[in-house]
Amino acid sequence: MFRIEVFMKKCFKNPKGSQVLSDISWLGIKNIAKIEYCPLYLIDGDVKIEDVEKIASELLSDKVTEFCTVSRCSDLNSINVNSSVPSLSSSVSIIEIWYKKGVTDTVAESIVKAVKDLGITKDVKVKAGHKYCLYGTISRAILDTIVTKLLANTLVQEYEIK
Amino acid sequence: MISTNDCKVIKIFNLSDDQLVELSKNNALYLSLVEMQAIQCYFKKLKRDPTDVEIETIAQTWSEHCKHKTLTGPVDYTEISPVLSYKNSGVKKDSNSSHITYTTVKKRYDNLLKETIFKATVELNKKWCLSVFNDNAGIIDFDSKNGVAFKVETHNHPSALEPYGGAATGMGGVIRDILGVGLGAKPLANTDVFCFGNPTTKISKIPAGIHHPKRIMSGVVSGVRDYGNRMGIPTVNGAVYFDDGYMANPLVFCGTMGIIPKNKIAKKVVSGDFILVVGGKTGRDGIHGATFSSARLESKSDVNAVQIGNPIIEKKVLDAMLKARDLNLYRGVTDCGAGGLSSAIGELGEKTGAIVYLDKVPLKYDGLHPWEIWVSEAQERMVFAVPPENKEKIIEIFKKEDVEAVVVGKFTNDEKLTIMYNDNVVVNIDMSFLHNGVPRPIRCAVYKIREEKVQKPIKMGSSEILKVLKASLSDLNVCSREWIIRQYDHEVQGQTIVKPLHGNGIEVSGPGDAAIIFPYTVVKGTKKGIVLANGLNPQYGKVNTYKMAASAIEESLRNAVSVGADIEKISILDNFCWGNPNNPEILGSLVRAAKACYDMSKAFGVPFISGKDSLHNEYSMKGKKYSIPPVLMISAMGIIKNVENTVTMPLKAEGNKIFVLGVTRNELGGSVFTKIKNIKNGIIPDVYPKESKIIMKKIYHAISKKLIESCHDCCEGGIAVAISEMAFAANKGVKIDIDVIKTEKVDLLTAVEILFSESNGRFVVEVKPDNQAEFIEIFKGSIFSEVGYVMDEKRVIFESKKNGIYVQEKPEVLLNFWRSTLTGG
Amino acid sequence: MKKVKVLILRAAGTNCDYETQFAFELCGAVVDRVHINSLLAGRKDKIFEYDILALPGGFSYGDDIASGRVLANEIKNKLSDRIRKFVLRGNPVIGICNGFQVLVKMGLLPDPELFEQIATLSYNSSNKFECRWVYLKIEKKIKNESNCIWTKNLPNVINLPVAHGEGKFITKNQKILKSLNRNNQIVFRYSTKDGNKPAYPLCPNGSIQQIAGICNIKGNVFGLMPHPERYIFALQHPARECCADKKYGWGKIIFQNAVDFVE
Repeated sequence: MFRIEVFMKKCFKNPKGSQVLSDISWLGIKNIAKIEYCPLYLIDGDVKIEDVEKIASELLSDKVTEFCTVSRCSDLNSINVNSSVPSLSSSVSIIEIWYKKGVTDTVAESIVKAVKDLGITKDVKVKAGHKYCLYGTISRAILDTIVTKLLANTLVQEYEIK
Repeated sequence: MISTNDCKVIKIFNLSDDQLVELSKNNALYLSLVEMQAIQCYFKKLKRDPTDVEIETIAQTWSEHCKHKTLTGPVDYTEISPVLSYKNSGVKKDSNSSHITYTTVKKRYDNLLKETIFKATVELNKKWCLSVFNDNAGIIDFDSKNGVAFKVETHNHPSALEPYGGAATGMGGVIRDILGVGLGAKPLANTDVFCFGNPTTKISKIPAGIHHPKRIMSGVVSGVRDYGNRMGIPTVNGAVYFDDGYMANPLVFCGTMGIIPKNKIAKKVVSGDFILVVGGKTGRDGIHGATFSSARLESKSDVNAVQIGNPIIEKKVLDAMLKARDLNLYRGVTDCGAGGLSSAIGELGEKTGAIVYLDKVPLKYDGLHPWEIWVSEAQERMVFAVPPENKEKIIEIFKKEDVEAVVVGKFTNDEKLTIMYNDNVVVNIDMSFLHNGVPRPIRCAVYKIREEKVQKPIKMGSSEILKVLKASLSDLNVCSREWIIRQYDHEVQGQTIVKPLHGNGIEVSGPGDAAIIFPYTVVKGTKKGIVLANGLNPQYGKVNTYKMAASAIEESLRNAVSVGADIEKISILDNFCWGNPNNPEILGSLVRAAKACYDMSKAFGVPFISGKDSLHNEYSMKGKKYSIPPVLMISAMGIIKNVENTVTMPLKAEGNKIFVLGVTRNELGGSVFTKIKNIKNGIIPDVYPKESKIIMKKIYHAISKKLIESCHDCCEGGIAVAISEMAFAANKGVKIDIDVIKTEKVDLLTAVEILFSESNGRFVVEVKPDNQAEFIEIFKGSIFSEVGYVMDEKRVIFESKKNGIYVQEKPEVLLNFWRSTLTGG
Repeated sequence: MKKVKVLILRAAGTNCDYETQFAFELCGAVVDRVHINSLLAGRKDKIFEYDILALPGGFSYGDDIASGRVLANEIKNKLSDRIRKFVLRGNPVIGICNGFQVLVKMGLLPDPELFEQIATLSYNSSNKFECRWVYLKIEKKIKNESNCIWTKNLPNVINLPVAHGEGKFITKNQKILKSLNRNNQIVFRYSTKDGNKPAYPLCPNGSIQQIAGICNIKGNVFGLMPHPERYIFALQHPARECCADKKYGWGKIIFQNAVDFVE
């Protein structure tokens, strides 16, 4: 299984991150300096890493504004988070959100179609998720509040705080 | 029948009443004891026990959501009213209410819907109503070749749990209703109306287990946006109503209007036709959605009831099915909504019977039990009745657009529902029992008409009036919905010629009363248009549900008429959202509203063509029950002969005259004004159809003769708000003389009351001086007056020389008050 | 005279195809709306039966990953030779909204000879979908010197509606931006009523240099975020303004230009 993370290049604004930052302010939570949002994908199937790199660069990221990382993983949690986040410092909290099993994942469905168009004939399974990097010193309890009140609906999604 | 790994036989022969109730509860069937007994009795006659698939099928078909047991059931209604009525008198003579005696009137309804709403439609007998109350949507005449269909649904409970997915699938579901009406209509426009709690509520005040209203609003808006925009259907009309009664139980109304050739209105399923399932695959999504809507929202709700939609699948189905329709490849179609395949195939095969092979249904993943496949509410699925000779052709059409289409069975002639799974019979019951076997217990309803009191006369100075005007404009229920409206692609298809926001161009905007669709790409060469509007007034319902219903109907008509609709060509839809109907007082308030529907429909000559109810809107938490303030949401659809003869609400040119049409009464009950000033009393606005219908007819006449430059209806915030909106939407000045506005009696109302009263039946119109004489000639006989003019100077002025009042402000300042309340999720 | 033939390419999620068809037909063209599947399955030279190619607005394949990218990849991987040949022959091509995103992401704009993605349309700065009317400015230099066949006979400032969530035009680097300016490729910029530099919301997406629409150097390929097909009639304008005859809107001129060019 492969994990792909897509980042906005530093010189461009991250509008979704800024939006979440302003939404957080109405939760009454201060002291968060910046939020970066990045989409996550898991690709599973009988495919080579070159294929996955092609999927990441041709399909999942924008050549002008974004860059991406591809790494192997055996399951959702086996990735060393530090290696995949640029400029990580101790005051960064990471929240990852995924749909629960069985919940319709439209992004994943459209990736499955698009992978075929890239000439990759092997069947792939795809899962799409979200990652938020929150810069600032934030307690676990507050992170839980941010996720449950704002970012994820635990009825259909599961989350992890790192 | 025998139990297998997939399908269990449920022994009910010897169950006691208590055990029957427990069976219903444990399996989330939401069937009452009487209903369980009817099932027991039926299978005793068959001399066998039912399977789980059979029990689930019956529970789905008999659910409140599918069967509307309350509205179509018998009701014993008692109405208690005070003998002394202050209606029309305005002045209260006796302040000691203990002297008031009450009279009681009883009435038995055998079928509430048939004896109120539907009865009015039957009695009005409009030739242009092509299909009413018997298909997925109501259809009226558009031109010689086409009809237009309109349907509005609610998706409240799913939206409370998962606002984004709930609202999106609500939108997707009502669009499928339009695809599934007749042999399929092409959707032209969406509407949406929401009721939420106050989005500025402090986080700490939100009870555990429910989402903050701001999050609900943001999720619901995104859901409607993403589904509607991706379907390429403009969302053109709507409303948002804020009241803390909807904190735990938001209301989400989604509507779709579509156009259909007249020769595609009738379905005629023939035995031998194949059952073709088209679109999305079946998963566990939304299991028990139909029965779930009969249940109160508990803190721990069934997670499978949550659905997430995939609009692109539905868009592909839409594109392909209209091709198949025009090639006459099928004889019937309906959507999979609540109850999934169970309801869809059950409906199509009601008269013929059907046999279904459940193992042929395409699944998202393995491991589904037969009953789950049968009742799943997985989205984006449609069922077609296809003559055998067309099977290959129709499948080919779907395949070309990457849409999955699979034959899962056929319609028979045995009037039975037979379901097979891996060569075993898992269902074998009579269609007649399934559709007509539900018991009809008599429900009790009581309504006590509350006495309304006039508030003490309100007097204010100019600066205080201005303050109230600004507070009214920025009130949650008046302020701009631009943040929402602009996220919807309200102009896709290019046919939205009167848009939800009006303005003189680009920089300024004002709230349009109604939207107009000009279907030029579908009906080549047409000049006709379709107007969509709505009305709702939950505040009035807290005191008087009759007046609430009557006001909602009139408001929807006023909105439609304001842009140029012909009152003789308007049809309406009802959507009841109520609390628990097992409570006689709650059911009583519903009966009272249904009576208003009959009266108003008859009086205005406006037929109901479709409707839907969502009952059991209550939430229990920590043992405390919350019931929503009841809502009757009315959607209006009218046909306009010539789209050139339509108007918008912003003022057009300096020097033009301003008229107020209709009577201003002392009706501040439930108004924005009394909310802002925290005044408890006030008479709830009543409806006077004889007065207002004539005015509506005359407005149509005047607009057709191009005598009206702009028109706006008076509703929340009264004349003061309506005129301010017309001015700031054009950035123009206006001067109004309060003293000449027509009231029910001279000097009965203070200047403040005239400005802010929310009496129904009133319009503000702008007329060119050149047209004034002809305009006045048309309105002779009705109550109206010239109240001011559009000024060169950019100031909005309300003046009463009699009372020494002179209120003035720049239109752009008022615009900013209106604009800055709702600015983001 | 032979009628001008237009191919409107549609895919799952295309949704402005009918009104685009109507606009071309009103200008005297014959229009076929063709699904990409049937273009792929049909004869290889089918596209050359047409004079004009239009990629209409919508949400191709749901646009769940990024607007236009899945369709851009599909066209590039399966139709690239044909479509490039069609473009380089000088046939008029228009991409509206989602169609513009597709043209840019497969690299037919700004430079079809290069045929590589060197610009993009990214998320609106407001981070939300924006449906509103805007002013578009056509600079004097563009009017006089640009080769764009689509934007002739327009006044300095026109109105059109936009409706998109990803319309912020960005180039890969400054050099590309400069060459776009130098070669008169930036035909539409968002502006105020008087043609001045606008702030949000008159610039609805935060595009660099307020770019709303561009063409290739040759001027036959044109992509824009605003929707000209939604302003064919005066009636469609919020204040019902018209360009001529009290009937038509500025959008019609754009389609007419291409049809007239072929004729």
